[in-house]
Amino acid sequence: MVLRKHELEAKLKADSQLISDGVLRNEHPLDLSEPFNEFLQACRRGDLKHCQELITAGVNINGKDQYDYTPLIIASLCGHYELVELLLESGALADPDSFERERAVYNALNNKIRNLLLSYDYSKAADPLQQWSSHITSLLVRDVPKTSDIALSSAADSFQLHKFLLSARSPYFRKKFADAPATATWKLPHAIPVEAFRVVLRYLYLGDLPRDFVGPQSTVSEADVFKGIDKLCKQLEIDQLWEAILSINDRRLARQRQQDEVERAQLQVEGFFRDTVLKYKMVVDSRKANDVKWPHDNAIFANCILRADEHEDEEEDAEPVIGFNGIPIGAGESTASPNGNKKARQSTLYPAHKAFLIRSPYFATMFASDFMEARDAEHLHIIKVDCPPEVLEVILTFLYTEKADCPLEFALDLLYASDMLLLDKLKTKAAVAISTLGSGTQNALVDRTHFNDGHEGQESEVEVEPINVYDVIHAAWDLKVQRLEEFAARYLASRLEDYIDEEEFAALIQESASRIKERQETDTIELLDDIRYYLSERFRLRFEGDGLEEMLDEEGEIKAEAVEGLAAAENGTTAEANGGEEKVQASEGGLGEGGGGTVRTLDGKLVEDEFDSDAVNYQILLQKIDTMLDRLKLDA
Amino acid sequence: MATRANNKIRPIRRANVHKDASEFEPCWELLRDALTSIHTKNAGSLSFEQLYRASYKIVLRKKGDLLYDRVKDFEELWFSNHIMPRIAELVSNNLVSQALLKPPGTSAHERREMSQKFLRGIRDAWEDHNMSMNMIADILMYLDRTYTAESKKPSIFAATIGLFRNHILNNSLGSAATELNQDFIIFDILSAVSLDLINMERDGDIIDRNLLRNITSMLEDLYETDEEIAKQKLYLTVFEPQYIRNSKEFYNKECGKLLQESDASTWLRHTQRRLNEEQERCDTTLSILTTDKIANVVESELISAKLDDFLAMEGSGLRAMIDNNRLEDLSILYQLISRVDKSKTSLKTTLQSRVMELGLEIEQTLRNTDFSTPSAVGGLEGEEAAEGGDKSKVQTLSAAAQQTAAAIRWVDDVLQLKDKFDNLWKVCFNEDLVLQSAMTKSFSDFINRFNRSSEYVSLFIDDNLKRGIKGKTEAEVDVVLDKAIILLRHLQDRDMFERYYQKHLAKRLLHGKSEVHTEKDMVYRMKAEMGNHFTAKFEGMFKDMVVSSELTDKYRDHIRSLGDIGLSKTAELNINVLTTNYWPWDVMGRNSQEEGAKADCIYPPAIKRLQESFFKFYLKDRSGRVLTWVSSAGTADIKCVFPKIPGKETGSLSRERRYELNVSTYGMIVLMLFNDLAEGESLSFEEIQAKTNIPVSDLMRTMASISIAPKARVLVKDPPTKSIKATDTFSYNAHFMSKTIKIKAPTISSLSKVEGDEERKQTEKKNDQTRAHVIDAAIVRIMKQRKQLSHTQLTSEVITQLANRFKPEISLIKKRIEDLLVREYMERVEGEVSAYRYLA
Repeated sequence: MVLRKHELEAKLKADSQLISDGVLRNEHPLDLSEPFNEFLQACRRGDLKHCQELITAGVNINGKDQYDYTPLIIASLCGHYELVELLLESGALADPDSFERERAVYNALNNKIRNLLLSYDYSKAADPLQQWSSHITSLLVRDVPKTSDIALSSAADSFQLHKFLLSARSPYFRKKFADAPATATWKLPHAIPVEAFRVVLRYLYLGDLPRDFVGPQSTVSEADVFKGIDKLCKQLEIDQLWEAILSINDRRLARQRQQDEVERAQLQVEGFFRDTVLKYKMVVDSRKANDVKWPHDNAIFANCILRADEHEDEEEDAEPVIGFNGIPIGAGESTASPNGNKKARQSTLYPAHKAFLIRSPYFATMFASDFMEARDAEHLHIIKVDCPPEVLEVILTFLYTEKADCPLEFALDLLYASDMLLLDKLKTKAAVAISTLGSGTQNALVDRTHFNDGHEGQESEVEVEPINVYDVIHAAWDLKVQRLEEFAARYLASRLEDYIDEEEFAALIQESASRIKERQETDTIELLDDIRYYLSERFRLRFEGDGLEEMLDEEGEIKAEAVEGLAAAENGTTAEANGGEEKVQASEGGLGEGGGGTVRTLDGKLVEDEFDSDAVNYQILLQKIDTMLDRLKLDA
Repeated sequence: MATRANNKIRPIRRANVHKDASEFEPCWELLRDALTSIHTKNAGSLSFEQLYRASYKIVLRKKGDLLYDRVKDFEELWFSNHIMPRIAELVSNNLVSQALLKPPGTSAHERREMSQKFLRGIRDAWEDHNMSMNMIADILMYLDRTYTAESKKPSIFAATIGLFRNHILNNSLGSAATELNQDFIIFDILSAVSLDLINMERDGDIIDRNLLRNITSMLEDLYETDEEIAKQKLYLTVFEPQYIRNSKEFYNKECGKLLQESDASTWLRHTQRRLNEEQERCDTTLSILTTDKIANVVESELISAKLDDFLAMEGSGLRAMIDNNRLEDLSILYQLISRVDKSKTSLKTTLQSRVMELGLEIEQTLRNTDFSTPSAVGGLEGEEAAEGGDKSKVQTLSAAAQQTAAAIRWVDDVLQLKDKFDNLWKVCFNEDLVLQSAMTKSFSDFINRFNRSSEYVSLFIDDNLKRGIKGKTEAEVDVVLDKAIILLRHLQDRDMFERYYQKHLAKRLLHGKSEVHTEKDMVYRMKAEMGNHFTAKFEGMFKDMVVSSELTDKYRDHIRSLGDIGLSKTAELNINVLTTNYWPWDVMGRNSQEEGAKADCIYPPAIKRLQESFFKFYLKDRSGRVLTWVSSAGTADIKCVFPKIPGKETGSLSRERRYELNVSTYGMIVLMLFNDLAEGESLSFEEIQAKTNIPVSDLMRTMASISIAPKARVLVKDPPTKSIKATDTFSYNAHFMSKTIKIKAPTISSLSKVEGDEERKQTEKKNDQTRAHVIDAAIVRIMKQRKQLSHTQLTSEVITQLANRFKPEISLIKKRIEDLLVREYMERVEGEVSAYRYLA
C-alpha cells in the first residue's frame, strides 16, 4: 500500500513532531559531511561497488541531507534494486509507519523495488548487543546447566531466576538480597496474577514483551494483569516497563525502547559486575590459592571462583613446561614448583556467576558435565583459567557486559585464552586489536625507509616494537586466524630489512614451508609469498602514486636492475659486516633514506633521489630472500 | 643491529612452547587415567578444567591426530576387555536358538524372561557406554572443534559411539555361533527378541515397554557409519524394516482370522483398536518415526486387503449397517475407509446403489399400495375431511384423490429417505464432500427416473401451502418448504415443474387458498435456488393479484362516485385482471382446443351491465387492451332468500331464510336462471346449457356442486342420483336449509390433484412445444456466437446451457436443428460431416 502525497506530508509532520517531543529518537540525523554526500551521489548513480566501500568504511547509512533524503530513498527513487537490497541488508532503517520508509515506498521507481521495501518489515540493523541480550533472555528457560539460584513460586508456576541479574536490574531486589543473600525461594504474593509477573520477568530478562498479556485459558482479566504489573513496577522500581508496555503497538517505538532498555541493562549489569566480581577479587599467593574457601550463599551470589595466575618471570622458562603452564599433575604440585628464591607467584581469584560464564561453550559444557566442577561441594569450586589475571578480567568483562577493550600487550594472551574458551567473538576482537596496529594514527607499518625529516634521528634509536611478530605469526598458525597471518606478513614486509638477517626469521620461513608440506606437495611458501606481495606493494605503491610506474613496467628493466642488485647484495652484506652504524652516520640524513637503505646502496654510493633508492632497496631485499632460501635449501 | 634486537620488547614465552613435543606423553597419561576413571564411574573427582586443558594443549601442539587415534585405540581396547565379555555372557546358546530358530514348546513366559534379560544387559552396556562417550566428548571438545572438523573425520563421539555398533551389534559374541552352527550377529538376536516381545504384547501379554523404548532409542542414536547421516540411523535401516515386515505378517494372519470368525462390526472395532494400539506403541515403546509407517501396515493389511469382503458380509455388512442405522459402525467404517482411500470408492458405490434401491422401492410400494382405503391415504384424510367436510366425497373422488395422496406419500417417503441419509452423512461421515455429491447424484438419478416427480413435488408443495393456512405454525411450514426446495434441487425437468407449479399456484391464488406471504416466501426460495428467470412468471402472478385488488377498490370508488346506484346494488364486482403470459393456459380457459367454443357464456343481463361498466372504467386508463372474462375461474357470493314454506309452523323452514351462497361464476349464472322461473318449474340440463352456453364439463361440475353436495343443495335434481347426466332436470329447492348463513358450495375443480393420463399427455405435449422453442432459442444463441460448430459440439453446448432448466432429449435437439436448417437459420457446411454454419 502506498500512501498518498498528502498523507506522506502529514506523516513527515507527525514524525518530526514525535521527534521534537522526544517520544522518538531521531534516527536519521542531518549529515552534511563530505563522505555522506559522496555516498548519496553513489546511491544516485547506483554505484554498487563504491557504496559497498563507503558502507564498509563506516558512513552513516541512515543519515539524511538537507532535503530529507536518505540513501534508501535516493536508491529507491533512482531505481537501483540491488542497491536498495544492499542498503536494507546493511541496516538501513525501514520501519513500517516511519516517514522515511513511506517516502521510499512512495518514491520507488518501480513495483519491484516497492515490494522489496514493503517486504522488509524490520530493519536488519545489526544490534551489537543482540547476542548478549538474547543470552539473558534464554536464561529464563534454560535448565542445563543449572544456573539459577533462586526460585520464585506461585501456586501454579515457578520461575527459576538469578539473584545477580535481579539485583542488577531492580533496586528492590538488590536491597532484599543484600539483606538476605541466602534466600533460595520466594513466594509470590497471591494478589498479583502470575501473568503480570511473567511480563515483568520477561522485561527484566530483556525478552520481547508479549502482545497479549492474558493467555486464552487464563482465568484472570487483562485489567487485573495490568494492575498487577503496575504494582510490581512500583515495588521493583522499574518505571520504564510501563512505557514499554504502552509503546507495544508501535513497532518503531517498541524497537527503540527495547534498544534503550538493553543499553540500560548493559550499564546496570556492568555497574553491578564492577561492584561485585571486580570488587571482591582476591589476590593471594598461588600456593594458597586452592585453599581459599568461599561459602555458597555469599553476598554477591557468586557460584564459582575463577583463578588466574600471574605471569612468571622470564627465568621460569626453564621450568618443566607442564608445571609452568599450570597443569598441575597432582594436587598442589604446581604450587610447590616455584623456586624458593623467588617471590611467591600471585594468583587472582574472581568470584563469578555461572549464568554469565556459560556464554562460553567451554563453561557451558563444564557445568553441564559430570566432572568435579559440576558437582556439589561444600565450598565454591575454584576453576583455573590459563591466562594472566588482566586477561581474565577482560574475558569476564566481555562475558558479563559484551564490552571488550583489550590493551595490546594482552592481546596475544587474550587471543589464546578466548580460543581455549571457545569465545569466537572475543577471539576476533583480540585479533582485530593486534591487526589494527597498522591503521590509524599509530601506524606501525609506516615505511621506515621514508622518515619525516625531523623525526629520523630519534626514531631509529628509541624504536620500540609494539609486538613480537614471531609470536603473532605463531598464534595465527596455532589458532588459524587468517587475519593475523596477513597482518604478520605485512608487518614483516614493511620492516623486512630488520628481520631478513635474523636466524629466527629463517627458522620461521622454514616452518612456514614445512607447514605447507604437511598439507600438500607444493613449492610455494605461503608466508614468503605474502611477504613478497606486501613488499612489492610497499614499493610499487609509491612508484605508482608518483606516476613513475614505467620504471618497473618493463620486465627487462627490472631484470637489469636485479642483476645490478645481485652485485649490490654481495657488497652490501660485507659492508654491513664492517659496521653499519658508521655508514649510517656517513649517509646524508636529509635524503630521507632509512639507515638500512643507505647502507645497502651499491658501494655506499648515494643515489639521486628516493625513487632510485626505493628500486634499489626493493631489489636488495628480494635478493636477500633468495640467498636465504638457498641457505635453507628451499625452492621457491 | 644491537638496538634492533633490544627493541623486541616482549618475546612472549609462547614463541618456543609450540615446538615442544615432549609434552604430549604426560598429557596423554593424564587423559588416559581420566578415561579409565570415566569408565569406572569415578569421574566425580576429575577436574574438567585440567582434562580440557590437557587435550587443548595437545591439539595446539598439532598432535590432534595422535590424540584422536589414541583415544580411539583406548576405547577399542577397553571395549574388548570389559564390555564385550559382559555381552558375550548374555548370549547363551539357549537364547540364540530361541531367537533365531524358534523351536516350539517354550512358553511365552519363559521366552519373555529370557528376552528381557538379554535386552536389559544390552541396554545397561549401552547406557554406560553412551554416558562415558559423552563425557569423553566433553573433555575433547576442543579436539572436535578444530582438528576433527578440519580433517573431516567423524567427531570423537561418533567414532567412539560407533564401537558399540561395530563390536557388539554387528558381531557374534560367545561360542553360540559355532556350537549351533548358525551365522548370526547380535543385532539379529536383538531384533528377533524385540519383535517377539512386541508380538507378545499384541497378544495381550504385558512386557517391559521402557526396556524396549531404551533399546529403540539406542538404535536411533546409532548410525550405519560414523558420518551419522540422518537417514542412516540403525533404527531406520535395520530394525524398522524388520518390524514392518513382522507386523505385516501378523496382521495378515489376523485379518484372515477375523474374516472367518467374526462379523463386520467386530472387525471394525478390532481394527480401530489395533490402530490405536500401534499408535500408542510407537509413542511409548518404539519410535515416533514409525508411527505413519506402521499405521500404513495396519491400514493395508486390516482395512484395504479385505475391505470389500467385509463390506459385503451378510447381516453385518455395509448394507445392514445402513438399513439398521448402526451409526457407530458407520462412523468407524468411515474413519477407517478415509484412512486408506481418499475417494472412498467402495463406500461410495455401496451407498449410491443403496440410495437407488431404496428410491426405487418407494416407487414400487407406491405402485402396489391401494390408496382407495382411508387407511392407505393416512395423513391425507384429515385434510380431505376438513376441505370437503364430507367423507363420502373423498370416496367418490377417490380416483383423483388417491393419486394426490400417492404423490404426497411419495414425496414424504423420498424426503424421509433423504433425511435418513443426510443424518448418516452428518453423524457418521463427517460431512464428507465426496460422499455428499455421490449421494446427491443417486438421489437425482432415482428422482428423475420417476417420471412424475415434477408434478408430485409441486403437488406436495401445494398440499403443504394449503395446509399451512390451517393450524400449522410458520416454523413447521418453513421446515416443509425447505425440504421441498431440497427435492427441487434434484429435479432435472424444471420446466415441467414450473408448469405444474404455475397451475397449482394459480388455483391457490384465485381461490384464496393460501397465505400470500407464505407463497411469496416459497417463490423467494425458489428464486434463490434456481434463479430469476425461473420465478418470473410466479412473481408476475403475485403482481397481478396486487394490482387487481387495487383496481377493484378504484372501481368501487368509481362506481360510488358515479352514483350509479343500480349498478352497485345488483352486485359488487371483485376483479382479478390476469396477464396472459404469467398464468397457466387452462386457468385462462384456453386449454380447450376449439377456439370457437371459447366464446363467452351468456351472462345474465345484470352481470353483463356490470361487465361493461368495468370494461369502460378499465380502458379509461389503459387503452388498447383486451379483457377476456374467464368465467371458469371466478366465484360469486349470492344472497338468496328462501321464503317460508307454507304449512310449516315450526322449525327453521317456517321462517324466511337468508343465506349467502358462495358458488363459482358458472354457478351464479345457473342460479340466476332459476330466479326467473316460476315456482315448481324446472329446467333440464340441456336447457340450462343452451341458455348459458357453459361448456358441458364445466356445467356438470357446477350442477354437481349445487345440486348434489348436501351442504349446498339449493337445486333439486331429478332423478336424485349422485351424478349429473345430460338428461337430468333441475328445480328450485324451496326446502333448502342450512345451519350457517354463509355457505360455500364445494368447488370441485379447485382441488389440486394428480392429472389423469389424458391430461398428462397434454401437459407433456405442451411442455414439449415450449421446450422446442427454448431449444430453438438456445441453438440460435449458440450459433450466433460461434458461427460454425460440429453437431456433437452443438448438442453438448445446448445441453449445458439448458441443464439448469431441463434435460433435453437428444432426438428433440436433432429435430430442432433440422427444423432450423429448413427455416434457414443455419446451413450445413459443405464437405464436412454434420457441421453447421450460422446464417445471419
